[in-house]
Amino acid sequence: MNDQISKEDKALLDKFLADNQLFLGPDPEIMRNHSLTPRSRAEDEILKKGLDNHQVHHVRGLINAALSEAFTMVNQMGAAPGAKWGDLVTGIYTAQGDLAMIAPHGIIAFAACCFYPIRFIVKYWSNDPTVGVKDGDGFIHNDARYGGIHNTDQSMMMPLFYKGELVCWLSSTIHEGENGATEPGGMPAAAESKYDEGIKMSPFKVVENFQLKRDLVTFLQNSVRDPKLQLEDMKVKLHAVMRLRERIIAILDQYGRDALIGTLRLHLEDTETEMRRRIREMPDGTTRVLQFMDSSLRENCLQKISCAITVKGDRLIMDFRGTAPQFLNRSVNTNIASFKAALCTGLLQNIWPDLPHTMAVLSPIEIITDRNSIVDAEGEMPQAMSLMPLFKGCVVWTIPMNKFNYSVPHKYSAVIASQYDQAATFIYGGLTQHGDVTGNFCGDINGNGQGARSHADGEHSVSPVFGFMCDSGEHEINEEDTPIIRLGAQRLAKDRIAWGKYRGGMGYEQIATARGSALWGFMTGCEGSKFPSAQGLFGGYSCPSYQLMKIKGINIFEELKKDPKVVEVFDIVKLMNERPIKGGKYSSNDMGMTFEVCNEGEIYMICQGSGGGYGDVLERDPALVMKDLREDLMSHENARDIYKVVYDEKTLVVDEDATKKLRDDYRRERIRRGKPFEQFCKEWVTPEPPKDIPYFGSWDNNREIYATTMGQRVKMPAEQLQGAFMLNPKDVRIMQLEGELEKVKAQLDDCRKKA
Amino acid sequence: MKRVSVDIGGTFTDCFVAWENRYVEGKALTTHHNLALGFNAALADACKQLDVENTTLLSQVDSVRYSTTLGTNALIERKGPRIGVLVTTGFKSTIPLSRARGYGEGLPESEQMDIPNAVRPQPIVPIPMIREVRERVDYLGKVFWALDEEDVRLRIRELVDAGAEALVVMFTNSVVNPAHELRVREIFLEEYPAHLLGAIPMLLSHQVAGRKGEYARGTSTIMDAFLHQTMYHGLGTLELNLRAQGYNKPMLVSHNSGGMAQLNSTDALQTVHSGPVSGVAASEHLAAAAELGNVVATDMGGTSFDIGIVDQGGVKHYDFNPVIDRWLVSIPMVHLVTLGAGGGSIARFDRLFNSVEIGPQSAGSDPGPACYDRGGLKPTVTDADLVLGYLDPKNYANGRIPLNPKRAKQAIEDHLCDELDMNVIETAKLIKRNVDANMANGIATELRTRGYEPRDFTILAYGGNGPLHACGIANALGVSKILAPPYSSTFSACGAGNVNQMHIHEMSTWTVLFNPATKSFFSDYETFNRDVEELERRGREDLLRQGMQAGDIRYRLELDMRYGNQRVQTAVVTPLNRLHAQRDVLALMDQFHKSYGARFGEGSQSPETGVRINTVRVCAYVEQPKVRFSKLKLNGNTRPAPAPVGRRECHFVGLPKAVDTPIYGEDALAEGTQIEGPAIVTTRATTYLVEPGWTYHAAAQGGVWFIRK
Repeated sequence: MNDQISKEDKALLDKFLADNQLFLGPDPEIMRNHSLTPRSRAEDEILKKGLDNHQVHHVRGLINAALSEAFTMVNQMGAAPGAKWGDLVTGIYTAQGDLAMIAPHGIIAFAACCFYPIRFIVKYWSNDPTVGVKDGDGFIHNDARYGGIHNTDQSMMMPLFYKGELVCWLSSTIHEGENGATEPGGMPAAAESKYDEGIKMSPFKVVENFQLKRDLVTFLQNSVRDPKLQLEDMKVKLHAVMRLRERIIAILDQYGRDALIGTLRLHLEDTETEMRRRIREMPDGTTRVLQFMDSSLRENCLQKISCAITVKGDRLIMDFRGTAPQFLNRSVNTNIASFKAALCTGLLQNIWPDLPHTMAVLSPIEIITDRNSIVDAEGEMPQAMSLMPLFKGCVVWTIPMNKFNYSVPHKYSAVIASQYDQAATFIYGGLTQHGDVTGNFCGDINGNGQGARSHADGEHSVSPVFGFMCDSGEHEINEEDTPIIRLGAQRLAKDRIAWGKYRGGMGYEQIATARGSALWGFMTGCEGSKFPSAQGLFGGYSCPSYQLMKIKGINIFEELKKDPKVVEVFDIVKLMNERPIKGGKYSSNDMGMTFEVCNEGEIYMICQGSGGGYGDVLERDPALVMKDLREDLMSHENARDIYKVVYDEKTLVVDEDATKKLRDDYRRERIRRGKPFEQFCKEWVTPEPPKDIPYFGSWDNNREIYATTMGQRVKMPAEQLQGAFMLNPKDVRIMQLEGELEKVKAQLDDCRKKA
Repeated sequence: MKRVSVDIGGTFTDCFVAWENRYVEGKALTTHHNLALGFNAALADACKQLDVENTTLLSQVDSVRYSTTLGTNALIERKGPRIGVLVTTGFKSTIPLSRARGYGEGLPESEQMDIPNAVRPQPIVPIPMIREVRERVDYLGKVFWALDEEDVRLRIRELVDAGAEALVVMFTNSVVNPAHELRVREIFLEEYPAHLLGAIPMLLSHQVAGRKGEYARGTSTIMDAFLHQTMYHGLGTLELNLRAQGYNKPMLVSHNSGGMAQLNSTDALQTVHSGPVSGVAASEHLAAAAELGNVVATDMGGTSFDIGIVDQGGVKHYDFNPVIDRWLVSIPMVHLVTLGAGGGSIARFDRLFNSVEIGPQSAGSDPGPACYDRGGLKPTVTDADLVLGYLDPKNYANGRIPLNPKRAKQAIEDHLCDELDMNVIETAKLIKRNVDANMANGIATELRTRGYEPRDFTILAYGGNGPLHACGIANALGVSKILAPPYSSTFSACGAGNVNQMHIHEMSTWTVLFNPATKSFFSDYETFNRDVEELERRGREDLLRQGMQAGDIRYRLELDMRYGNQRVQTAVVTPLNRLHAQRDVLALMDQFHKSYGARFGEGSQSPETGVRINTVRVCAYVEQPKVRFSKLKLNGNTRPAPAPVGRRECHFVGLPKAVDTPIYGEDALAEGTQIEGPAIVTTRATTYLVEPGWTYHAAAQGGVWFIRK
């Protein structure tokens, strides 16, 4: 065979392939490139001519005001709970599809991933005679494989033509929730393939002449459980983008096309320059962190995320090699583009929050991953619960970057331990008390506990890991819309603390039931029930692990009617330890619960978690320990055992001298317990992961990856990762029970024989 | 009409006296240790101009009205009683957790974004003073967990023993069924009768705020309890002071709802921000009197820039969940936005974009701008204004504050010029341009999110720095008309003299006007009308208690409506005070449709997803005689500019060279005076900067127009 092809032949073959594509799936050229595109000719000409920096500043202010106005519109008009709590964004992009600016209060993550579908539209639909891009068009999209965080977010994207020229793109994105997936609420943990994820919209045109196309809207409404929400929020996003368009046209009229195009591009380039400047300020070197996810949301298993950050001059390299391989039939994978968005979020939320919220922040960062790992999964993999690795991506910075930043003279924010990084909220679905079908999640997702700082305790339940000024909502208002009744709305979770010189900000208990619905259910998409989620910094403890508790087979409303004193207080620990409601089936479970029907009055209990602690517990000011005791955040046992404080339990007066002596003694005890590093390694390091733990990821060599597939442990080269196929937990359980049955039968036979 | 109205601010106590057809202003420093002293001094200042004694004046006026920052100061200083709170079991941490976002309420955006440095404000109620009580009511008001009275007694005892000086009860869904909260008060009075020494107040959340939202209602009630004593003593002292000087009528207090009431009909929370709100009230009256059309009221002071909206069609803009100090509360407050832009706003080099950022940090009044020569080293907006030639160093703030131009130049050079590679004049121009643009963007966002266009508005510019920056703001906004109102230096006090006695009562409701699932329309008119009647009754009783005549009482019905499950709260003011037929329901929906479309764009409405009323609100009020603003409209009668009192080289944004600019004095306020810009008019109260391209027209009563050529 002759494989020598002339240039001309190759061009012809390429043309044939381009003209005869079977399926315009996610394009790796787009999806793997998080950097700014090279300047377009127009951008280059404008910037070479030179712009007045101060006029650029002024135009930027006008664009910000316009984005803010559109954001407010979506926030106020939106019907999805996510829109009401601030899980949305409005943005402006260059004509090539680079995201230049988002609304000041927009969710940061969106700033780093909404541009992919626009680049797709630019590349594939602009010149396609059956689609095209023209004034008045609007495109919709939700499939994260084409860009985005996850498929529960829907975007409306609109090109802006000025005097016949495409000068920029505008968009609005909302976390909508319901999307017709196999479970209600838009984030189906039970999805075993991407075809269980509900509606998957590649970018397509849904608006012409500034009007929604009713046939397509109907198709989308027909594909989800909540057609009302689908229609309402499509209108909302469209009209917000149209308002934004009006404002940008006004800027164009006043300042001209060059000012707008130049401002957008310069904003990106200035941000990238500043990023490089900050990277240069840090010392060269490498710092590392290992994170573990302890569940696939169907079974307990340990998945490693390995991260090494290297600084070399103005280069920052994030190396995720050695991370767990993707799952073929579990929903906790993410594609690399979404993962990068999470990284961008974490950087802007926890390290340099003063930087502009734009994709340019990520542009100078080099990211290395193993293809087909859990953070760089291939397109066919289910990704409905990508939040699991994404939330890890948001906080992965905190430990290694604070090591870099600790000694840098100028700090841009506080030195801080990891925030609690789980979506600790109820996802719900079913029939409301008003007869509407719905599916979504509660605002408690916005209440993650903050990591402790080098100068202070973390704030309790301060924000989600992906945004700021988000709202955990008002339950009186939520109860009007859904049959969920909060028996425990917000109670700080006593003793569930990440200890340290400064403790992590705490989470709170959420105790829910349902009332007045013909069919209602909950699910929870969380990890961290076995392995702590939020890591401590410089000696601070990690947060505890948190479980899902249930009391099934009861109707709490009838119980309270019969005996109002049946429950003293809705407190998870008390309820589970004292089990006051007779006849109830009490259980403790991991936090990965797929959708489950909640009969009227059955109780589900989960917890928002604590951020990581900072520094040595023995350095905690006893006065702060007493404050925590006064606030009933911790028990006396922990004050004594962990903080080693001597005090009067009634008056909370500290015996300073006795405390100092106790702490000094304990320090000596620590030294006695200590051992040389080599000895420690000898005793603790094993050649491979323990056999009884379903372990995924590298062990001592990040080029060899362990996994458990079809129930069997395998080891594979990192360059050739295969997806892990997990057995159905029910089949596993059946096998276990059958095994036990066999054993019992054998024992019975023995007994019979003996008899 | 004879009337005294007073605005007690953080620095000055302003007094506005209407004495038949004469209107005079008085001013004095606020005396925080005893507000009455400052009031007396300000009143004396006004009386001197009228040539009457304080006592003579007070014995003859129909009313004395106060708006005050007393509450705001008490919150900042945390001066208040130790409060204990009873909540429904399960909601123990609702207040401390403040809906997560509470860490950033009331802070500038840059601080909200800096999550690693987030710090929640020092709590008004510390966690140990919150107790849970066994009880629960559902969203419709049905009790599913009976109140445990034994538990109530125990928890009250615990709080009292812990030193509670005031108690708050915040039970979930109490606004739809207050029985449990009311019963708690009965129990409390059984245990701690009011006639005993040491009796403490108990506030019930449903009586303070009528809408759902347990957190915001809880903070409202806590704040009310916290401010109660301070406000009562502060205002009570003022009332006694009035009595001692011959005033024997009830004192009236301005509310942040835009109304006012007697002291005995005022919640403490209603007084917070009542000063700035009175400014908006004055703007509303002025706009109507002078036929100004839509007005955006702007108050630019030393540290902040307040924006209020007055719609000529009568649409009222409220914040239903405003932020007071650092807390989200639940009261209908006249919409007011505050930006961190004022004379003291600090300018800093922005390395990232190689430009200048202004604020939100402020040098305040102490040390103040660098040119105050009181130790301030950072460049501010006032420093730039001085360098550009707009301010008279010897005659700033009526000569009270001498300015040092060298300090201003040095601060700008030291912090900005080298970095920007610009000279001091160009840098000062940049500061002026940027701060004006920031304020313009703030106004534009405010107006446009409500469906307005700035070019359809007149800017009303007051506050110490308002007339100085008004043209620059208007240039950036595309607005052509500015009015610096009469009595602008005491404008809020003037506003307090114009408000009606008014009470607002509201109620959360689940009223579905159109249900798309069943294709049915609302028909339970009896319930709806009963609710409206109940709210009217409450307002009526408030007003009758204050001596109003039943026949004088008017009602305005407002409905917060939404489509489907939206959050938007579009307040629809409806003339339909009762519903009687399906056509009324359709009329309401049609009115909502129009109002929503005007705000968010025609076609954005979604009636097919259902139409609901969330809140019913009734404003009960009695119209009062108003201060008369006359001859404010430009009528073509002009008089030439007086002789300038001096000339200065001034620098203007957009002009490359300095302009020899005439300076005018107080006589330029003579009605009809017309001056072409550029020019500067310096009066006792303020400095008017007439930028190139603008014309100055003096109207009656000290009002000044700026008209773009």
